[in-house]
Amino acid sequence: MMRGGFASLHPSVSFAYYAGVLLLCMLLLHPVLLAVASVLLAVLLALLGGWRRLARQLPGMLAVPLAVTLMNPLFSHRGRHILFYLFDQPITLEAILYGATMGLSLLAILLAFASYQQVVTTDRFLYLFGAAAPRLALLTLMTVRFVPLFRRRLHEITAVQKQKGISVSEGVLRKRMKDGMLLLRVLLTWSLEEALQTADSMKARGYGSSRRSSYTIYRMDGRDRLILTLLAGLAAATGICRAMGLGVLTVYPRLEPITLSVADGACLGAFTCFLIIPIILEGGDKLAWQFSPPTM
Amino acid sequence: MGARRTLLLTAIGVFAAGLAVSVAVTDSHYMLLSLVLAAAAMAPLFIRFERRSVEARELVLLAVLAAIAAVGRVPFAPLPSVQPVTFVVIVSGCVFGAEAGFLIGSVAALVSNLFLGQGPWTSWQMFAWGMAGATAGWWRHTWWMNRRAGLLLFGFVWGFLFGWILNIWYLIQLPEAWSLPLITAAYIQSLPFDLAHALSNVFFLAVFGRSWMSVLTRFRRKYGLLTEPGGGPGPGAPIR
Repeated sequence: MMRGGFASLHPSVSFAYYAGVLLLCMLLLHPVLLAVASVLLAVLLALLGGWRRLARQLPGMLAVPLAVTLMNPLFSHRGRHILFYLFDQPITLEAILYGATMGLSLLAILLAFASYQQVVTTDRFLYLFGAAAPRLALLTLMTVRFVPLFRRRLHEITAVQKQKGISVSEGVLRKRMKDGMLLLRVLLTWSLEEALQTADSMKARGYGSSRRSSYTIYRMDGRDRLILTLLAGLAAATGICRAMGLGVLTVYPRLEPITLSVADGACLGAFTCFLIIPIILEGGDKLAWQFSPPTM
Repeated sequence: MGARRTLLLTAIGVFAAGLAVSVAVTDSHYMLLSLVLAAAAMAPLFIRFERRSVEARELVLLAVLAAIAAVGRVPFAPLPSVQPVTFVVIVSGCVFGAEAGFLIGSVAALVSNLFLGQGPWTSWQMFAWGMAGATAGWWRHTWWMNRRAGLLLFGFVWGFLFGWILNIWYLIQLPEAWSLPLITAAYIQSLPFDLAHALSNVFFLAVFGRSWMSVLTRFRRKYGLLTEPGGGPGPGAPIR
């Protein structure tokens, strides 16, 4: 499928972006910075997969970060600003802020993983790492390829076996579990027998006789290089800010004000520019589609 | 090519490990460290697989079993926390050995999450399911694994171990709150799920353990797949 926008970049560029996001979201432990990151990553996810899909995914993604945010003040009572007592246990401002920071860091990471999956698809990932671990890459790719095939077969088996009353959706639990495994065993014998023929034809076509080639070939062009340089520069700038102690909220031993200093603002600026590059690419592509005059 | 690749991979590994340790020490943010450690724990078995010669048939067999384990999550979707991945991985480890069990478990985790959603938990699942297969393979010749009760107990224990390993992925996000009450609360909360997982493993192994093992053993015999260097008849199941 031809795609414009962020997903059309060379796999190494998009992979570098997500590696950078993951690292920076673990390093910049400041609730404001991480909230900005979460919003931007959510926008990117929506541009890639649609707002409706984002709305469907979001509740599941919020669960664990929310639990982390709530559990920290319940189980950690460090800090001098005691807000109130819950079951005789002090709830401190420090613990709440720390929990929120960790929760937001997790939320940003989960959002990044979700959009990563849409941009760096399995074949792109294996294009990048196939050289490092070719056999493992081939094993994974073959497994990925078997999944939809086996699902189709499983549907067929289910339809046939249903006539004999074997079904996972009706009966008592014991029968349903038994029937499910019966369906899987039919799938196993069918697929193994057939897959060994695949193996023989692989061998006949020279599997293992030379280096494996790739189905899709990606080439770095000028745009890829430009964006990679921009991303690297901005990540380095953010990293340097972080190394100077900016862009992180000190909670212990003494809570510093949550408002950003001017220097912190510089760190946030570099980080935002880093995060926004794919949004510009993806959004720009969408706008071009919408508003380009029909010249067919 | 080979030497350069090793050098580059080592450099990336050392960089990631160094960064992970420094983030853990200075900011008590342990996620990166946990990912690096999980990768380090799995690396030896993956590297061994890369280096030895592997027949096309073995590769296809591993892929089929990993895909069956991954697809197996589909027909059981109506039943909460009942899934056959652990069962398939244990049975495969018992028949084809530790390395095959490990690879099937870890690849099944990676691939099923392509459809169910990747996240920081993927590496923990890869590790947990991989180890379930590896331990099944390591201990497959011991007397207790060849007893019905021993195999069922093995499946029961792994049901709990899997949940306990998986709980770590979000607990490491709460370094300030680490305490006995927090850990107790987290493990009590996951208890019903772990128990369901353990009991479904026992059920599957009790009802289908023998028949699946005999199917797999038949394939191993018929095609001479992944047989041990000694050539001895494998474990357990009678040949049909």
